[in-house]
Amino acid sequence: MKNRILYKADEVRLAYALLTPALLFLAVFMFYPIIYVFLMAFFRTNKLGQLKDWVGLKNFIKMMSQKEFWAVALRSLSWTVIAVTVKTVLGMTIALCLNQKFRGRKIMRMLFIIPWASSVPISAMLWKWVYDSEFGLLNQTLRNLGITQSPPVWLGLPGWSFVSTIWVDIWIGIPFMALVFLAGIQSVSQDLYDSAYVDGVNSWEKFTKITLPSIKQILFIATLLSSLWTFNDFNTIYILTKGGPAGKTHILITSIYTNGFEWLKFSNAAVMAVFTFVILLSFSLFYARQFFGKGDESL
Amino acid sequence: MKRIVLSLFALLALTGMLFITGCKKKEAEKSSVTVFWALYDGLTEDYRMDLQNAFMAEYPDVQLDIVPVPWDQLYDKLTTSIAGGNPPELSIIGTRWALELLDMDAIVPIEDYVSDTTLNNIFDGTKEAVINGKLWGLPVAAGARILTVNNSLTNVVPKTMEEMKAEAQRIVKDTDSYGIIMPGKKHTELTDFAYYLYAAGGDFFEMNADGSYGKCIVNNAAGVKALEFMVSLAKEGLVPDGYLSQSRMEAHPVFYSGDAGYVMIGAWVKSAMEQAGSDFKATYAQIPGFAGHPSTPLVITDSIAMFKDADSLDAAGKFIDFFYQDKWKAKFDELIGFPPVTKSAAKLPQFQNDLYKALNEAAGGAKPWPLMNGFAETTDIIWDAVSFALLGEKTPQQALDDAAKKVDEMRADL
Repeated sequence: MKNRILYKADEVRLAYALLTPALLFLAVFMFYPIIYVFLMAFFRTNKLGQLKDWVGLKNFIKMMSQKEFWAVALRSLSWTVIAVTVKTVLGMTIALCLNQKFRGRKIMRMLFIIPWASSVPISAMLWKWVYDSEFGLLNQTLRNLGITQSPPVWLGLPGWSFVSTIWVDIWIGIPFMALVFLAGIQSVSQDLYDSAYVDGVNSWEKFTKITLPSIKQILFIATLLSSLWTFNDFNTIYILTKGGPAGKTHILITSIYTNGFEWLKFSNAAVMAVFTFVILLSFSLFYARQFFGKGDESL
Repeated sequence: MKRIVLSLFALLALTGMLFITGCKKKEAEKSSVTVFWALYDGLTEDYRMDLQNAFMAEYPDVQLDIVPVPWDQLYDKLTTSIAGGNPPELSIIGTRWALELLDMDAIVPIEDYVSDTTLNNIFDGTKEAVINGKLWGLPVAAGARILTVNNSLTNVVPKTMEEMKAEAQRIVKDTDSYGIIMPGKKHTELTDFAYYLYAAGGDFFEMNADGSYGKCIVNNAAGVKALEFMVSLAKEGLVPDGYLSQSRMEAHPVFYSGDAGYVMIGAWVKSAMEQAGSDFKATYAQIPGFAGHPSTPLVITDSIAMFKDADSLDAAGKFIDFFYQDKWKAKFDELIGFPPVTKSAAKLPQFQNDLYKALNEAAGGAKPWPLMNGFAETTDIIWDAVSFALLGEKTPQQALDDAAKKVDEMRADL
């Protein structure tokens, strides 16, 4: 008995010893920056981001009394909702198509992964060239097909630039959704579909009554991850428009960067970062509750 | 079990010690100098590599790393590295950033690390980064902006902005080309608004009696005239169709390709045109004022500054002395097209042509950026106002009124 206890104590010590480097790494590179950002939000900071005077909620009150802040927050929300909805719908459609048996299915599956496999900055640069108003592929195609001789300035007009940047985020994100959904669909038992076939159930009902409920967990994880990534998609906007024209494509994450590293207003940036953190955490918890209900232990 | 745990900790400790001693040994052997190197138009990768290799051949005890950074990312990269406590030894900076960097206590007086030979060879007039009696950055490129005329489309060298617009209208009407280049997307600073603002006799801030900057006055008659003029150029189709999505880097190649009559540009125009393979003759002239106003071009000075928290400032000083020799600095000036800042290079035959004649003339009546804190945010606010007016969402007066108010509020809060 004594030996067993000693053995267990040794195991615990070993576990801690093995965990220590990883915990140290997390503490230095994750927890410390997060805590420091929270502190900056409650302090006046200098241009190097060092804490100077405690100001309590003053930074929050000042930031939240600015209508530009709320415009950016609202834009972040609409950017995320639109992008995630489209990615989910298109991703599911593609997954259903790729689940059908047809010639060249393997190649199609491989091709679909390319946007996801490419790095985001490269994809964004590529789309920047596509959208170029003078020499871009898109406008040249529109001109050559005779659709219009004065195509839009995709990245220069507020409405179009918002749509154009969202589309790039969607284009990059669809393969992830499609592949995750496809993996989920393939795990659904064929017996359920066979029984449904015998009962004369149509395709739509099969999808809504069998497929969707069966991949509920995967759908939740994929849309949650996609929402978090989309809300924080800095690269796409920064490379395509830098938040312009006239700040009309700024979302919270790009505003945080501008305030912090261009204007050196680290307190303002920290307030936005804390706001973003709270919003995303609340959303994740609320979403999990709504999706699985209170009693579900599966998460 | 205990032995395993102890062995694990011993291994970790040994790795850590090896890492630390390894680093120290390396440091003891070589000083490391990092330079953030602005990618000026015309500057080549070959030149950067040659300079780096030549310096290390002469100073084998110094590891030099010249890091190329695009201009519009330089400020962000620099401030990020300073905020992260890991600045380079040296960086090219817009001289107008010097106050901000000084306010951050990030730079040191460069004159303390550079030889007198180098300092005495630089024209005093270009040493713009003198603050509180100390020199915080050596001028690396200084030049007034000029007008370049595409002679395949026009031979008219306009005396006023109004004349330039009239000729731009003719070019658009008679040819399949654009009248004038006007970037509508912000590129680092407010350059393309400043051309028109200064041409209308305007300024960004009123000057107080003690020489400090007062209220923002971009919304006065001169500012509004400048912005109304820009809006009219766009509305009348005298600028490239996609101007709103073009920064300077995207807009100027349209001129290099010969598709526009005029461009207001820096001294790099000649070398950039050569590199782009431009096949038309160009005339270098002065940026005109509006009728009744003298030509007042923007003059821009860039400097090279030394950073306090970097490790090898003495070695960085050696690099500056090396770089400012004619062999390297004159070649640098020639590539980027700026007039030399050193007395010895100014006498060289390659700096005696028509371009440098125009640049020297422009320098006479030129006006610089305001040297002030909060300039990065000021330029963002004013450029947003320019965008609102170009997009037609606000009148020039409304847009500039809002901007001036916002700039004053922001500065009061600094």
